[in-house]
Amino acid sequence: MAEAAPLDTTIQVVTPENIAFEYQLAGPFRRIPAYVLDVLLYTMVLAFLVIIGLYIGFYSMSMLAMSVYAFIGLVLWFVLGWFYGALCETYFNGRTVGKWACGLRVISVDGRPLSGMQATIRNLLRVADLAPPAALGQFDSDVAPALAFPTALIGLMSVVMTQRMQRLGDLAAGTMVVVDEKSWRLPVAKVDDPRVAALASYVPGDYRISPTMARTLAAYAERRAYLTPARRREVARHLTDPLVDRFEFRPDIDPDLLMYALYYQTFLAGDSNTPPELGALAGFSPLRKDIGRELAPTPPPPPPPLAHSTEQGVNG
Amino acid sequence: MNVATLVEKRRAQWAELETLCGGVVSPENAARFAALYRAACADLALASAYQLPPGTVTYLHRLVGRAHSRLYRSKRFDPMTWFDTIFVDAPRQIFSDPCVRIAAILFFGLFSLSAYLAYNEEAFPTYAEDIVGVATLEQMEDSFEPGLDGNFGHYISMAGFYIKHNTGIGLQCFAYGILLIPCVFILCYNAVALGASFGYMAREGVPGGDTFCEFVTAHGPFELTAIALSAGAGLRLGMGLFRTEGRTRVASLKANALQAVPIMVAAAIMFFLAAFTEGFISPSPLYYPLKAAWAIMSSGVLMFYFVVLGFPRGGLR
Repeated sequence: MAEAAPLDTTIQVVTPENIAFEYQLAGPFRRIPAYVLDVLLYTMVLAFLVIIGLYIGFYSMSMLAMSVYAFIGLVLWFVLGWFYGALCETYFNGRTVGKWACGLRVISVDGRPLSGMQATIRNLLRVADLAPPAALGQFDSDVAPALAFPTALIGLMSVVMTQRMQRLGDLAAGTMVVVDEKSWRLPVAKVDDPRVAALASYVPGDYRISPTMARTLAAYAERRAYLTPARRREVARHLTDPLVDRFEFRPDIDPDLLMYALYYQTFLAGDSNTPPELGALAGFSPLRKDIGRELAPTPPPPPPPLAHSTEQGVNG
Repeated sequence: MNVATLVEKRRAQWAELETLCGGVVSPENAARFAALYRAACADLALASAYQLPPGTVTYLHRLVGRAHSRLYRSKRFDPMTWFDTIFVDAPRQIFSDPCVRIAAILFFGLFSLSAYLAYNEEAFPTYAEDIVGVATLEQMEDSFEPGLDGNFGHYISMAGFYIKHNTGIGLQCFAYGILLIPCVFILCYNAVALGASFGYMAREGVPGGDTFCEFVTAHGPFELTAIALSAGAGLRLGMGLFRTEGRTRVASLKANALQAVPIMVAAAIMFFLAAFTEGFISPSPLYYPLKAAWAIMSSGVLMFYFVVLGFPRGGLR
């Protein structure tokens, strides 16, 4: 499935329920902040421990207590430095604190949650992914060459070149990092324009919408809010021009409105045969044969016309 | 089919699933969660048949994904399998793995060669100085000249340091194994530098030489073997990328990683044992034959581990 959409960053996962659902893969610019957060976190924990240790040593003046504390601190440093990620990902189901904050999660490539073994492999191999280190001494001879800074070029290249955006550790462990958003909303395109229902009632009853057209309509209705009115008409006209002919609508009808009406007809209108409340629009017809006919007498406040009144209405 | 009504009808259940994704506590909630999850899966499967708008489908993908990762938890470490990993898988893997053999030959060969070159003062007078540097050699002489003493507190903190430092080097060597060359470099560098130090300190008349030999006897077997083992595990990882044996490159890497981890676990345990030996036995003013006995015993344990436990048994692999 991923081969079909190589440019996309979504990956399909088939669950034990035999349902295929999609995850969004996390690229390097989502993962680096998460990693930096993790490093900062455990560095702070260690710094805090060192401060407590100095405090204890200063007040107790006991060398033994200091040594035991130093032992614990060094072992903790070792464990946190090498196994923080593995432990977090195992016990928090694929997330470290940084990943939790950035909305990421590690899962197996087959969609199952990762095992402790996989978490260990991918976190141990991080050293190789952070290679090669760039020593500051390479650029300035006054700086001690020991100050090596990881450039992470190996991991970056691996992420860029693999289909699932895996670094070497991910490849070896068979895992991938996906976006695991904490909040989401059910998008419902609202239709509050009274003209839409009115226009929809003129769409012939024998018109059956194809699945691709339905998808297009839904996509249009969702994206519509981000377009300017002129742009909406420009986009919609390609689809509505054949329909205007087919429905025998007047040629200057607003393509945007027609798309929206079709959307309403497809997804929102009830199955009932009751005609919509036309209100002020009663008597106005978008059909071509009614072009010369007068409006119904006394439409109280003049409603916004069904056809946009600019010169763009005619096919251009 | 009126989609709006359908979505309206299902929406309450989806919202309920959404809240349950935040946390399932009671058994009733867990059962409810499972039912809602299955319903959402079905909705997602039918979404295209219902011609649901793409936004709703995206929403369902995220909902099912979130619920899926809530329902299926990560498989944690199972302590029951650790025994098998350490005492069954690891020794057999080590015994039969050519990468471990190559790493061991490379490490101990270079170590012996370097030690000989450093020891032979007449033929190679400046070898040790060239390899490890005059400053390091003088520092070693100074630190071992006064003999071994120290208090218990010092031992404890040094043991901690050895765990962090030496095991860290081993794990780094393992991780770099996937890139092959850095791993081989770390292995050879350590072999040559350690060999040069050993050879230099073993020369006649070097101040602190006897103390040095007494110091390294006890933890030597564990520590040197552990370095070779972690490099062997790393090489196994890196070879997986090149020798695919008919599998895809990624599949081969995964399979080799699973083989490499038991070796690395064994190496890490040896590093820990070495660190405690180096922290408590090596620097102690213990009677020297006792330290030598410890070294002989640890070598024996390693031999038993590699050969007796590791000897391939028919049909078990």
